[in-house]
Amino acid sequence: MTDTQHSVAHKSILPAWIRGPQDFFGGIALMLIALFALWASSDLQGMQGFSFGAGTAPRMFGYLLLALGAGITAVGVFTEGPHLQVYAWRGPLFVMLAIVVFALCIRPMGMIFSAMASFMVAAIGSHETQWKETFIVGVCLTAFCALLFPYALGLPLQMLPTFLIR
Amino acid sequence: MGDLFSNLGLGFGVVFQFVQWTPSFLGGMSIPIPVNILLCLIGALVGTLVGVLPGIGTIATVAMLLPITFGLPPVGALIMLAGIYYGAQYGGSTTSILVNIPGEAGSVVTALDGFQMAKQGRAGPALAIAAIGSFFAGCVATVLIAVLGAPLTKLALAFGPAEYFSLMVLGLIFAVVLAKGSVLKAIAMIVFGLLLSMVGSDIETGASRMSFNIPELADGLGFATVAMGLFGFAEIIRNLDAGGEGDRELVQQKVTGLMPTRQDLKDSAPAILRGTVLGSILGILPGGGAVIASFAAYTLEKKLAKNPKRFGRGAIEGVAAPESANNAAAQTSFIPLLTLGIPPNAVMALMVGAMTIHGIVPGPQVMQKQPELVWGMIASMWIGNLMLLIINLPLVGIWVRLLRVPYRLMFPSIVIFCCIGIYSVNNAPVDVVLAGVFGLVGYWLIKHDFEPAPLLLGMVLGPLMEENLRRALLISRGDGTVFFTRPLSASLMAISAFLLVLAILPSLRKKRDEVFVESET
Amino acid sequence: MKTLARMIAAGSIAAATLGLVALPVAAQDYPTRNITMIIPFAAGGPTDVIARIVASDMSKTLGQQIVIENVVGAGGTTAAGRAAKAAPDGYTLIMGHMGTHAASVALYPKLAYNPETDFEPVMLAAGTPILILARKDFEPKDLKEFVAYLKANEAKVNQAHAGIGAVSHVTCELLNSVLGIKPTGVPFNGTGPAMNALVGGQVDYMCDQIVNAVPQINGGTIKSYAIATPERNPSLPDLPTTLEAGLPAYQVSAWNAIFAPKGTPAPILAKLNAAAAKALDDENVRKRLLDLGSDIPKAEGRTRQALAALVKSDVARWKSVLKPTN
Repeated sequence: MTDTQHSVAHKSILPAWIRGPQDFFGGIALMLIALFALWASSDLQGMQGFSFGAGTAPRMFGYLLLALGAGITAVGVFTEGPHLQVYAWRGPLFVMLAIVVFALCIRPMGMIFSAMASFMVAAIGSHETQWKETFIVGVCLTAFCALLFPYALGLPLQMLPTFLIR
Repeated sequence: MGDLFSNLGLGFGVVFQFVQWTPSFLGGMSIPIPVNILLCLIGALVGTLVGVLPGIGTIATVAMLLPITFGLPPVGALIMLAGIYYGAQYGGSTTSILVNIPGEAGSVVTALDGFQMAKQGRAGPALAIAAIGSFFAGCVATVLIAVLGAPLTKLALAFGPAEYFSLMVLGLIFAVVLAKGSVLKAIAMIVFGLLLSMVGSDIETGASRMSFNIPELADGLGFATVAMGLFGFAEIIRNLDAGGEGDRELVQQKVTGLMPTRQDLKDSAPAILRGTVLGSILGILPGGGAVIASFAAYTLEKKLAKNPKRFGRGAIEGVAAPESANNAAAQTSFIPLLTLGIPPNAVMALMVGAMTIHGIVPGPQVMQKQPELVWGMIASMWIGNLMLLIINLPLVGIWVRLLRVPYRLMFPSIVIFCCIGIYSVNNAPVDVVLAGVFGLVGYWLIKHDFEPAPLLLGMVLGPLMEENLRRALLISRGDGTVFFTRPLSASLMAISAFLLVLAILPSLRKKRDEVFVESET
Repeated sequence: MKTLARMIAAGSIAAATLGLVALPVAAQDYPTRNITMIIPFAAGGPTDVIARIVASDMSKTLGQQIVIENVVGAGGTTAAGRAAKAAPDGYTLIMGHMGTHAASVALYPKLAYNPETDFEPVMLAAGTPILILARKDFEPKDLKEFVAYLKANEAKVNQAHAGIGAVSHVTCELLNSVLGIKPTGVPFNGTGPAMNALVGGQVDYMCDQIVNAVPQINGGTIKSYAIATPERNPSLPDLPTTLEAGLPAYQVSAWNAIFAPKGTPAPILAKLNAAAAKALDDENVRKRLLDLGSDIPKAEGRTRQALAALVKSDVARWKSVLKPTN
């Protein structure tokens, strides 16, 4: 419930002239992305006579996104729109953490370990999780994956940690 | 016509070929085995499995299973690979509908209304109509390949870079139309997608663009990576928000009827028909035609509907049309391969590889020189579609039951399947992390009411559009009028302009109405 | 730079000798487990097909399975980079290619490996001849007319290729540099789309490997002026060579060769070389390679020294023909 209080506080911080905060900040973020893309593609070659250079299209789309972002921001200023929505932190954090755990473990530790570890980390993301049940399902799922991917689909995935194989 | 029947007869003869199997333990007794039917079944099953598992794409699977087919006779090998290919098209719709994870560009559109239907407890009808639509489309496309394959090839050859560019422009307009919210925001999302598609190496100079010296980015962002993130991971993260549980329990209670009602069938029949026609035509065009088939079909339905507002909120036509188009296109995309010997996409290129291994290099004479191969494959397509319908309809019940698994157990499982799927595409851990990052981006997009579907379409069409624009300009020596002087290209451009006006007009009118309402009160 | 490279080479030779002394048994018993052969391109491509044909026969000779692993990305250089860093024990090989082990040096200035110093040459497996192709209604009738036409209409002609670094790109760059012309190069995403554009008449000419072109030439959808090898090819007996048709300077072949990481013990390399040579003498292997239009190297081309020399001369050649990207 602290979240809702948070968003109320947020609303009061925003000046009154931002009538559609959702669009306003969405547009600003798109403009920032566009600026980043323009910076990232600034080292690329431009037009070469009649033919496009490597940088022509990225820059074209970059400027276009910048303009569209500005347009969306303007919509947020001039028309009444929805307020910012509440962001949760628990779900995104642990799902992301589970993904990172998987990415870091898959090479050195093999699939069985990574899948199990990642499953348990992701489960922390929900407050409904019941640990005993989650653990059992995790083990079953890992076993299922260990059979499905290498045998049914012939994927050359490493199953066990590297130090056990060598 | 007589030729056609004798050819199809030959084809079915090949498919129903029996091989006498004489195992020693039976003491000289031999058992006839329908090898090609079995291979078709195996292909369809593996394809369905691959389509259902998020992340693992058709190309990756065909590439992985290709070596297995080296030991088979060429006809059998191709029948099996083709089975995987369209099996994956069937299976791909399943995850789109059930968990909002499109495995391929084509199923992005299916997810729009399919997932909404699932949320309303109508996952069963959605899955069933997808299978029925695909089957119908598959049958029509098979006949089309058999009857009109050779003449239609001319269409594929008439399409030069200028025509492709115009087609891609049309595709982007479709993306605008399929948006359910603000047109401005939809266009911004398309451009964001276009920008993302620029990552990787430049086709003309080989220069690496916006890849920050990360080797995994050197060949660009993978479609699976971005789609898994924006749809799959973002959906999970959003569901974990406080208040999400109530919604989901509702879904589980609501599940009613597994099969479509009479009304559902009546609603979707014309959609299936139109989707099939559109998909069959677009599928013939190599390099990108099939991609926009499902988008085009969805747009058409939305424009023809009496109440377009239902689209994006669980309209059954929104599932039937793109799925039929998708499957029809998947089948007719075989035409350039069968008549010209030129593979129109990566999966077909792998099939050419399979033929090469067996010493058959397909060319324009493949129909005359290898009739049993070509007609066997065409006949197997129809059989394969029938098998897929038989496989998929009973599966609907199982899939819907999966929805009753508590979400607290379901979501970590989806995370794992997505991770393994993405990793398996390139064996690159970085891809998995990238998908996670796109999950966060997708979460942010949802919070700001931006739609991810136009973004994905922009990402798929971006490279095709840029490459063909550049090719067209190179060939015309910088003369931009080619897009309007070549008749095919000009007509595509005219359709685009017409659609754009149609898309923008109602929203302008709506704005005016809103202003009017406000001033009144 | 040169001395450094020599020192590294000397060092690795010393290391290899040490390894040899330390593990004499290992080299004698080789191979005791599966060997991995990395293919730098997707399954089903010309390199992959050749590798599978040769590897399956080598497996029989060596008594151990050769497992094929397709590693794609960055024009095959991802795979070559991985193979260069693999343990030099003879259990990781790569089916290298004209692109990954020669042209890449000129194309990618930041290449993660050096084809000449990071690999031990094992054996040249096969060469795939290159043809000069044109759309079927292109005006010139033979190679002489073609050369004259290109020189006269340099600004008008369009040449297709399958993307930067592709065989069709680098070999056509060579043709253009032999002719001293700079036509407009139109890039396509792979050989299929490029061939489609040529058949559809969207572009004028291209250079491509014989495998893809034979059925189209026989089907009359495109035409070919010459084959860039010293001798005619049995798949297209009527097609003149560039020597006969008056362009002797254009000689090129997309070769495939087996390499091992630097430092692989010499006895193992000798064993692999012998197994590969035996494969190329096998009737069945020869037939399948010839069906693909490949050139099978003769005895003098099958030594490790011959391959080393080929890599050396090709690297120098592509450096002078291609300008680096970026």
